[in-house]
Amino acid sequence: MRRFSLSWQAGLWAMLLPYLVGTLLLVGLPALMSAILAFTTYDALTPPVFVGFANFRLLAADPIVTTAIGNSLVFILLAVPLRILGALGLALLLLRPRRGVSGYRAAAYVPTVIPDVAFALIWLWIFNPLFGPVNVALGALGLPQPGWLADAETARYPFVVMSVFQIGEGFVVLLAALRGLPREYFDAGAVDGAGRWGSFRYLTLPLLLPWLALLTFRDIILTFQWTFTPSFVMTGGDPYYATMFLPLLTYEEAFDRFRFGAGSALMLITFLLSAAIIGGIYLLFRRRGYTADV
Amino acid sequence: MSEPRGGGCAGLLTGHLLPVLVAALFLLPLLWMITTSLREAGLPPPRTIEWLPESPSGDNYAAVFELLPFGRYLFNSLAVVTLAVPLTIITASMAGFAMALLERRSRVALVVLSVALLMVPITALWLTRFLLFSWIGLTDSLLALAVPSLAGSSPLFVLLFYWTFRRVSPDIFEMAHLDGAGAISVWRRIALPNALPTTIAVAVLTFILYWSDFISPLLYLRDQGLYTLPLGLRQLQQLDPTDWPLLMAGAVMLTLPAVLFFLVVQHLFLGERGFSGRRR
Amino acid sequence: MRNPPSRLIRSLLAAALALVTLTGGVAAQADSGSVSFMVFGDPAELAAYRELVEAFEQEHPDIAVELIHIPSMSDYRLRLGADFAAGDPADVVLINYRRYAPFAKKGVLEPLAPYLRRSDVISDNDFFPVATDPFRWRGQLMCIPQNISSLVVYYNRGLFDAAGVAYPSDDWSWDEFLETALALTADPDGDGMTDQHGLGVDPSIFRLAPFIWQNGGELAVLESGLRPIRLALDSRAAREATEWFVALQTEHGVAPDALAEMAEGSESRFLNGRTAMFLNSRRGVPTARRIDGFEWDVAALPTGVQQAGILHSDAYCMAAATEDKDAAWAFIEFANSPVGQAIVARTGRTVPSLIEVASSEAFLDPGAAPANSGVWLDTLDTLRTVPVIAAWVDVEELTGDELRRAFYGQASVDEAIDAMITRTLPFFAGEES
Repeated sequence: MRRFSLSWQAGLWAMLLPYLVGTLLLVGLPALMSAILAFTTYDALTPPVFVGFANFRLLAADPIVTTAIGNSLVFILLAVPLRILGALGLALLLLRPRRGVSGYRAAAYVPTVIPDVAFALIWLWIFNPLFGPVNVALGALGLPQPGWLADAETARYPFVVMSVFQIGEGFVVLLAALRGLPREYFDAGAVDGAGRWGSFRYLTLPLLLPWLALLTFRDIILTFQWTFTPSFVMTGGDPYYATMFLPLLTYEEAFDRFRFGAGSALMLITFLLSAAIIGGIYLLFRRRGYTADV
Repeated sequence: MSEPRGGGCAGLLTGHLLPVLVAALFLLPLLWMITTSLREAGLPPPRTIEWLPESPSGDNYAAVFELLPFGRYLFNSLAVVTLAVPLTIITASMAGFAMALLERRSRVALVVLSVALLMVPITALWLTRFLLFSWIGLTDSLLALAVPSLAGSSPLFVLLFYWTFRRVSPDIFEMAHLDGAGAISVWRRIALPNALPTTIAVAVLTFILYWSDFISPLLYLRDQGLYTLPLGLRQLQQLDPTDWPLLMAGAVMLTLPAVLFFLVVQHLFLGERGFSGRRR
Repeated sequence: MRNPPSRLIRSLLAAALALVTLTGGVAAQADSGSVSFMVFGDPAELAAYRELVEAFEQEHPDIAVELIHIPSMSDYRLRLGADFAAGDPADVVLINYRRYAPFAKKGVLEPLAPYLRRSDVISDNDFFPVATDPFRWRGQLMCIPQNISSLVVYYNRGLFDAAGVAYPSDDWSWDEFLETALALTADPDGDGMTDQHGLGVDPSIFRLAPFIWQNGGELAVLESGLRPIRLALDSRAAREATEWFVALQTEHGVAPDALAEMAEGSESRFLNGRTAMFLNSRRGVPTARRIDGFEWDVAALPTGVQQAGILHSDAYCMAAATEDKDAAWAFIEFANSPVGQAIVARTGRTVPSLIEVASSEAFLDPGAAPANSGVWLDTLDTLRTVPVIAAWVDVEELTGDELRRAFYGQASVDEAIDAMITRTLPFFAGEES
């Protein structure tokens, strides 16, 4: 592209402007504001007042905050591996171009397309402890019927199940990745006598690793915030904060109580937590001698 | 293809039975949403799993419109999507195109930036974006909901276009440039028309993104006359939190356009043809 | 396929922009001669306010009223807060006495006492004192109450008749109340799941309060200057009342448990004839009037050691940021004149706060359900209020969380009481009355 003229280059950069400037204003600026507001008290009626680390001290001392952090972390621990494995399993299952495979793939993607509010309401019904299909089915099979969202012990599981149903994006990415794997490797492998499992473990999996890594990172971020609409619509944090996740708490602090400073501090905490988790996983991957290359 | 053949019993299982079961499982929520919405109003909740209600009735759908101005909400949702989808395609494809044709260093930097942006938690932005918008008076208007489309709506869409344009041989663009065409011209006349599958995929994903958006309307809209469907459904829930057939009727109305739109175009990027266009 | 995409895109854009410009930014500007009025409630309640607005516009053709309707109470609260925070509230808003204090404290409400004094149509004495008192902030009347509603027992006559149970009497005791509820709780198909409940009640401190008072207890501990400093739920009388209240579900099962409530809410159960008694204020009447499967009526709360009821009242408040205050006052005055209050009273939504209207046929019409509407007037002397402090909403929320735990058997009453007192302590601090 060296041969392209300056006006061509200028044209390219001009085309990037909406994206870059827009992102700066819509993402960069708010993020910066968040970082600053986290150190103030601000109720949107009067100007912000600088208070240093006071917000963080108050939040650290608040049991609901620690509960929310715990809930969010546990949720990620449960949901992300299941989602990634689910997406991988789906992609492997529906990989081969069979008759009707397009229909199966579409079916698997459908839950991802259902709008969040509708999705939350349908699962609120599905997991209804008395009359929802899940417990009715369990009852018919003679199995115990947990209280699901009415019981603090089991309240997080409906959320995990819901999140596993919405793996469309990961599914499509892995599908594309699997399709893109060069054929020569597998032919050579077959010649060497590798069976299905061996071929998968030693050929497919390592080649998929960059995609799986990227997907995991993105999923951690997504899953952190995904809980907002379900918890907002289905439980509001009940029973007794068992489903109080960080995004919901942040919303309540800021928009219910007009404590934008504390809310910003919570958002900063959320951001740092996700960065820490991703950083940790990245380091783990790097030590195994592999680098992400897109 | 990327897997050696398997045969026999295992092959039958994974080849036919399992995909059908899995597909059925994933379709269950949608199915239950529809059947529950057809249940007669006022009855106690059903004691068994109702695969089809005994006396299906459209009462609930009528009731939704009686309780709330759902027609208005539908119009508002459509207005937002109509604005956001074309804008997104333009800005995202422009950015993706530019990224694909820049020299290596800039290109890699931009890709890394985009991937990093994908990692930014939106929850870190709500609050301050809300404050920003209210300071410049952008709240309480449908424009506020569509604003992200000016920036491509999501780095993911930019990256999708980037990957698509990277697969095109640079000679094509070079020839056009030598003919005297500017960058925008090449984008408009050559790049975009040849990226139809990606464009359609992005259009569908963008439609779904804005159609389903709940948080932005929740934060930015105050005037009930501007509410979009997701917010309307939430209102319905607050009016009668346990009237499941009613809520499912509202949910169906919110869901069906998104699902139908998706089903009509999904083969373009989920089917074999879609994938053959994406292979190296 | 060369030109169409961009041309199509361009025309779509133009159309979309036009669409959005037309629909965007509909928030009303308060020009003189126009008033924005924000209300909450379900469609039946909305109809009441629509009638009121139409009548006002007929009398005052030069003033246009824009009715802003928020269906849900919690959304309404949020909207109020956000609007005042943005400095752009509706001109006239309905606020409950439990929720107006933070706005009064921040000075964003226009005190209505001077307007009332100058009015030829209504005066302070025309209202029941129990209605106006909670709305006096630092001695000055801030808002004009529309309502002296209170908590009563809605009951399903059909279910009572079917079970052969006597209707509630005016002075029935706690024991009689419980016995009645027990007699009306049934599981006809014997599947272990209660199909009919005797009682439906929201486990909140707002519902519990009258029972605490009836047992001789207090809600809050008051300091010398009559300033509440903390909840008084740990007194013997208050604890007893709370235990009795909680036992209604945990021990006697007359109210739905957590699972049943999740499956179908208590109000819905009552409206559909699956619960015999439901505790609610006058607000429930417009919706209840739409019941057509059975006959219903209302009765007074049972009497404990003494009689006590709890005031439910909301009022018309004017925003200090209103541009045309005279027009806004004209509307508030009309809404609270005998004519205006009669209009809303007829729809069943309110127990009028004007003495004259409360004893008139607009409220006591024998042909309009409930037949026993007089109970709201008969129990007026027993009405008490919750403490009016700026952070009362937080107190209600926190106590609600704890009380729900106890009510659904997830925590003991003692644990709940301790938590309620401890967690709400910070909200009583920093209150000047």
